[in-house]
Amino acid sequence: MTAKPPSPIMSIGKAAGPSTLDVSVGPQHPGSGHCRILIRVDGDYIVSADPDIGYVHRGCEKIAEYRNYVSNIPHLERPNISDAIHLNWGYVLPIEELQGVAVPPRGRYISTIAAEMNRIMSHLYALAIMQGVFSGHTTIFMWAFGDRDLFIELAEMLTGARLTYSFLVPGGPRRDLPLGFEDRLSKLLDYFEKRLVEYDRIFFSNPLLIARSKGVGVLERRDAMKLGVVGPVLRASGVKYDVRKVEPYGAYDDLEFEIPTFEEGDSYSRFMVRFEEMKQSVSIIRQALQKIPKGPIARKAPLVAPEGEATGRVESSRGEITYMVMGDNSDKPYRVKIMNGSFRNLIALPFLIRNVRVADMPIIYGSLDYWPVEADR
Amino acid sequence: MSQSAISKEEVTVDQLKARFPKAIKETKVDRPHRVTVNFEKDQIQDIARFMNDELGFDHVKGIAGVDSPAQKKIEVLYFAGSYCKPEINDLIVVLKTELPRDNPTIASVVSIWESAHFHERETFEMFGVKFEGHPDLRKLLTLDNWEGPPPMLKDIKFPEIGQR
Repeated sequence: MTAKPPSPIMSIGKAAGPSTLDVSVGPQHPGSGHCRILIRVDGDYIVSADPDIGYVHRGCEKIAEYRNYVSNIPHLERPNISDAIHLNWGYVLPIEELQGVAVPPRGRYISTIAAEMNRIMSHLYALAIMQGVFSGHTTIFMWAFGDRDLFIELAEMLTGARLTYSFLVPGGPRRDLPLGFEDRLSKLLDYFEKRLVEYDRIFFSNPLLIARSKGVGVLERRDAMKLGVVGPVLRASGVKYDVRKVEPYGAYDDLEFEIPTFEEGDSYSRFMVRFEEMKQSVSIIRQALQKIPKGPIARKAPLVAPEGEATGRVESSRGEITYMVMGDNSDKPYRVKIMNGSFRNLIALPFLIRNVRVADMPIIYGSLDYWPVEADR
Repeated sequence: MSQSAISKEEVTVDQLKARFPKAIKETKVDRPHRVTVNFEKDQIQDIARFMNDELGFDHVKGIAGVDSPAQKKIEVLYFAGSYCKPEINDLIVVLKTELPRDNPTIASVVSIWESAHFHERETFEMFGVKFEGHPDLRKLLTLDNWEGPPPMLKDIKFPEIGQR
């Protein structure tokens, strides 16, 4: 590798030479969704990559201006069906701030339990598809997908839906914990903790995976901060930043957990951050089940939000997700701005997929856990 | 929050006001962790450079456009945050400026905040805001055959999904 260019992503569209070839990867589902990456290759090396996104752009922000606050919830969580609670929660927080509604403690605990279950599900999805399939490891694909379904069943028991829950509305969650839920969830966590050990043995300690992902796609700490990446991608580069700690919401203030970080910044450490986070999520859910107070779960919130703007954020599975909601004294938002993890991590794609072998591209792409629909909105 | 000490939100506001007494028109500490700063659009690069180099706000989380046809303006909001300074990494500083609706032009901050690259492209596409000096200002999300004004402007209406 030569010296670092002064500006990391300025090399997009680097001039073609006599030995280069332009290849379009996607948009017909290169693995995780619908985005196209235009790569320019020189032999087996990728010279530059230009992400061409927007194939699943739905105009969520525009539609949100036409629907009232509550009926916005289902379509605003659709962009990421594997992480619906966080997309939902991030949107509800600024509305509650505008309306001055405080969620009762029990409601905050239930939201936290649902969110951490969702984080495990999303990381299992990432483990199965983005990490397992992309590195050619079929066993972990089957295992992680199978175990994810057990969490999905419990999520269905809690919210009534498998993936798109629309569970949180301004004021609190829609339902209390159903009868027998706590018991089933703690049994599932016992089972899942044993499975995590097996995951480690078959996948994370697998010499093939280590050979393919260690030292591949290194994002150094300095670059990670400069590019403004978020979530596991940022924490794998050694930056301890997690919204659950820097600006606690829900019940995270009362619960004890660690923020796993790694120093290497390569694809392997991005895999490992998610793996360690699942262990933390198990511990968070256990504590929350133990500490959950009795009382009301939600307060009644008005349908109208006053004039003004509020910004709320949560730590989704793909990193900080920030919503800016602008009210205008009506039942519809004047403007909703979504700043999510996938769109902010997009910038790492052309930066990392450069001067690497073509065969390393799926590993790097998978390690970013980029979700095209979330980025396109 | 404790009443005795000056909060870090106020410290940030004071530092910005002291450095740019003319360009910064209005500042507001909305609540803990949130600061809003209204400024003159000509000074965006200087403010960004000062925030990046001296205050430690090293990235933008997003750039939002807000269209107000009645006041004939487009507001541009930069959501700046910090990774390198743990003591201020819970703050979001919202830098807010107004552009005329007929010619929304502002200097690009990509040379200072690399993270703004795709956010500026998105705002250019959705609101028609021209970011001068952006290295690669192209469409990003809409189809290549999208004709007409930028889709997030309020003149573009979608009666089939509802009324506003």
